[in-house]
Amino acid sequence: MLKSATAEKILLEFDPQKNNLLLALKEINANFGYISKDNAKKTAEYFSLPLSQIYETASFYDLINLEKAADLVIKVCSGADCVLGGANKIVSEIENYFRIKSGDKFNPKISLEIVSCFGMCAQGPIMVINGKIFEKVTTSRMHEILNEYV
Amino acid sequence: MFENKIEKILTKHWSEIDPLKIRDYLAVGGYSALKKFIKKSNREKILEEIKFSKLSGRGGAGFPTGMKWEMVMSQEKKEKYFICNLDESEPGVYKDRTLAENNPHLLLEGIIVSALVVGAKKSYIYLNGNYEKANNILAQAIKQAQENGFLGEKILDSDYSLQLEIFSGAGAYICGEETALINSIEGNRGEPKLRPPYPAESGLLGMPTVVNNAETIANIPWIVLNGGKRYANCSTKLFILGGAVKKRGVFEASIKTTIKEAIENLGGGILDGKDFWFAQVGGASGRLFLKEELNVPVSGSGAVLVVDKNANIYDLLLSWAGFFRRESCGKCVPCREGTFRLNEIAQRLRDGEISDRDKIAVEDILWTLENTTFCPLGKFAATAWRDAVEKLKIFSK
Repeated sequence: MLKSATAEKILLEFDPQKNNLLLALKEINANFGYISKDNAKKTAEYFSLPLSQIYETASFYDLINLEKAADLVIKVCSGADCVLGGANKIVSEIENYFRIKSGDKFNPKISLEIVSCFGMCAQGPIMVINGKIFEKVTTSRMHEILNEYV
Repeated sequence: MFENKIEKILTKHWSEIDPLKIRDYLAVGGYSALKKFIKKSNREKILEEIKFSKLSGRGGAGFPTGMKWEMVMSQEKKEKYFICNLDESEPGVYKDRTLAENNPHLLLEGIIVSALVVGAKKSYIYLNGNYEKANNILAQAIKQAQENGFLGEKILDSDYSLQLEIFSGAGAYICGEETALINSIEGNRGEPKLRPPYPAESGLLGMPTVVNNAETIANIPWIVLNGGKRYANCSTKLFILGGAVKKRGVFEASIKTTIKEAIENLGGGILDGKDFWFAQVGGASGRLFLKEELNVPVSGSGAVLVVDKNANIYDLLLSWAGFFRRESCGKCVPCREGTFRLNEIAQRLRDGEISDRDKIAVEDILWTLENTTFCPLGKFAATAWRDAVEKLKIFSK
């Protein structure tokens, strides 16, 4: 879908039935990176649901953001296999190098999240940058990869 | 070298099939179970076979599949739903994803036969929101199945019709629990509901609903073709080997495989130069097994994580506690607060700042999680920690 798509256009692709709500929210999130207040209101009107219901559903799911995401979103898997492979070292290296803390949302340019398993344990440690998955990441490879983004 | 001398049911054609081509699947006899059901059998006969097969849920809970189907079949409501549970968010478990990516039509055939037998006209695959590759492969497979007359109206010119849709989740572990999964499809928060009523009576949109794990469903075509009694003697299961073993990945073996056999025969043994400490069986919510406890069958979802003596246990404790802190849905206080505090303590433990007060608190928190939470997530959060305290003696070092 084009980046220029408006929330109205996206919504029209779905029947205004509640069992399409999560799918519609995911689609808006995919296009805008998050659900803005404005788009949440539009979604509520389209589905004829109270605004609180939109937030009730949207706030539950990890893959739906309610705030604008940072320009660079780094995620590191914290599953047992990735952790045994050194994922925590990668996390603290990123924290020290960029002077950020995992989970904090203060920096609009870069954020670091510790996330749950991607189901790619045999290829771990797994790091995801703006949706792109990197396998078998070491601290030195992490620097190489991030240099391309920063 | 050890040879896995079983008849493979789930992984048989993985290497010969291009998952994007239905004709590859048809070339190895694909969709003949669906043809057999429609042309030569009926719903009651297939249900009998499934009951003979003693097939049980492969998601971890192990509920008998035949019993689940019968409960829905006996309901008089006209509308019924069939849902394939491919949410699979347990850390360390990725067998269903591997299955769907390697042989999607085996899964589809299983879904179609199962849905028609239980009397559903509409079915869903509830897919983990992170599984993009599997999503593309399954979407393509559904299209091909429709073009070949295996899905849609009047399947193979019979009176059976079935719609199948992929419902891609949005990242929530608890949605693997069937009532939470149904809530999620309905557009709500993916929180579990109080049972009874069970989904078999009142599931999706209040209608009788079967929710089966993807691996369970993939066994159905073989049972339809070869009979339930034969299946009962040669049941297999997918195992996921991880951690300090030579071969990591997904393997098919007899359902009776013990932890020791899984590590040595499937995983190729522990890595050279490493010393076995314990194995965790069943993902992050799994129990820990010491060296002398390995002669029992692998239970639950089939994941075996081997941990060697050089591993940092505090990293692992934080991995477990952090996972359940993130995934606790917040509906009930003991789980929401318990997982939160356990995660805080795990962080202090890793940073070497643990106090005696924390050690006492851990005991209280674990008891509360084990005994007072609304759904099993709380119990899961406490399982590995409980074993770490009692078997690994993390506090008495």
